[in-house]
Amino acid sequence: MPGLISPAERDYILKGIECNIRADGRQRPDYREVILETGVVSQTSGSARVRIAGGSDVLVSVKAEIGSPSASQQFEGRGADDLNNELTQMMSRFLHHTKTTFTTPSSSSSQGSAGAGASTTAGSSSSTGGINLSKLCIIPGQQCWILYIDALVLDYGGNLMDAILMGTRAAIFDTQIPKTEVQDLGDGQFEFEVLDDAEDTDIVEGREDMPICVTLNKVGARHIVDASPLEELCTEAKLVVAVNRSGELCGLQKGNDGGIEPSLLLEMIQFGKTMGQTLIKQLDLKIKEEADSDLAKRQRGEPIQKLGFFAQ
Amino acid sequence: MDRKRVPGPELSVAPLVEYPIDHERWTPQQEKRHDPKRQPEDLRPIYLKTGLISQASGSAYIELENTKLACGVYGPRPVKKIGQGFSGMGVLNCDFKFATFACVKRRNNTRQDPQEKELSQILSQALAPAVRLELLPKSVIDVYITVLESDGWGSCLAAAITAASVALAHAGIEMLDLVAGCSASYMQIGPSISSTTTETSSSSGAGNPITPQIQIFMDADTEEEKYEQGAIVLAYMPSLNEVTHLLQNGKAEGPIINQSVEHCMEACNKVYAVMHHALLESMKESKDA
Repeated sequence: MPGLISPAERDYILKGIECNIRADGRQRPDYREVILETGVVSQTSGSARVRIAGGSDVLVSVKAEIGSPSASQQFEGRGADDLNNELTQMMSRFLHHTKTTFTTPSSSSSQGSAGAGASTTAGSSSSTGGINLSKLCIIPGQQCWILYIDALVLDYGGNLMDAILMGTRAAIFDTQIPKTEVQDLGDGQFEFEVLDDAEDTDIVEGREDMPICVTLNKVGARHIVDASPLEELCTEAKLVVAVNRSGELCGLQKGNDGGIEPSLLLEMIQFGKTMGQTLIKQLDLKIKEEADSDLAKRQRGEPIQKLGFFAQ
Repeated sequence: MDRKRVPGPELSVAPLVEYPIDHERWTPQQEKRHDPKRQPEDLRPIYLKTGLISQASGSAYIELENTKLACGVYGPRPVKKIGQGFSGMGVLNCDFKFATFACVKRRNNTRQDPQEKELSQILSQALAPAVRLELLPKSVIDVYITVLESDGWGSCLAAAITAASVALAHAGIEMLDLVAGCSASYMQIGPSISSTTTETSSSSGAGNPITPQIQIFMDADTEEEKYEQGAIVLAYMPSLNEVTHLLQNGKAEGPIINQSVEHCMEACNKVYAVMHHALLESMKESKDA
């Protein structure tokens, strides 16, 4: 991440935003083109890669493993210290919003870990948000599916958090969990078997409720979405708004060392909410399209072509 | 001898425990809080005093009943490492630490855990807009928070923000305004918790079949936080009318958020008065001494 910006460049960006035209020709509420692809890593239960035109590139994988439910969730990350910690904690906050966990002791916990990114950043996440955790339970109190969500930042070009959460949502949509069969041996003893059928799998229940986030950057008296790295350097304060499909707010966090006036704050929350909702709708549409076309191809026995890692 | 085996008696008897009559667990009910004397919009009484740490440039101690924390401000001092690069602005270095015994579960005190790291970051982000860092190039201000007793995660952070800005003022560091922190929790209220839990689990799909009634409780304690659907922490500069930090988690509809933001700002104004009082008291004391 470039750490410094010259006063002239800052002035140029500030004035541009004031006039509602940004350095790359976008207007204030415009997103850059997002390239989203699911099912990119075959070894995972679900994966997605999000690229925001011009830089940010995030690979998110979901791996379902069997483990015993532990009392606490773990979030860990590796990479640049501060940012990594910030992203991890933010994700855990946004995704961990259903309070069903504390009432069902049998529910699963999930963990996240991350690898270091090509640039200075790495984020990781853990998810319980919206997901119906009780469905991940195999034997109450003993065995459950643990969803490991790993986000690997391959390239940085601004607006990382939005890309990571978009990728996480897509990866969860792509996730297939094998079915299990539980046998009651009596005496409170259970035995289970994982069915080895690639076609007959479960989806992650409650995945529609997964939130995404919209990062609003306050520059001057205005706010912009999807900031480029240079615009991020001019940002006085940013507000991350996490929202789910039904338009409920799942998390808010202010970042950077600046303040926001209350009236602008409320306006930004409202704006982020509507923005996030439209974004989710479009994302869902695309994810569904891709899943449908993949399914149709599979039924016809055609090979599924993925863009792969070298596609531009 | 087998050391791993517990040499207990062959016969064991369950201990007799006498519960007090009103041992019934508190559940969220309308207009009634865990502490029945408090109204939903009431904060806990605040005790705030400056100058408890004699060696620090500035310090403050804050107590909201069972939330107790101390804050020490050291500096401004020059940046120690030359390799850290030149900074035209001063740097706020916040260090948030829970005492090992502060929470229900014992915390390991050797290193900052991720939560403490994040709280440190939030704290510095909340304070930075108020402090005139542009006047302190190449220097660092250290802000150390030690939580002695934590009763409610949100209130702990809010209290830390309040105490830290008072300590900064006490240290004589130039600021634009004091930052007051306030927390609020919102939860579904109903006659019993069993019905609310089934509601939350069934409402994980799209759209709630029953529209739950949401109540906002200001400055929630641990017991109330157990039932919360979400919480909000707001840092606000009352004179400048500027929000310096906002943190929210948990699902909520837009109007609830707006309402809690407004409630928090009102409460911040009350906290601001307490902060003022504490600083004036410290001035008087230093005059007398």
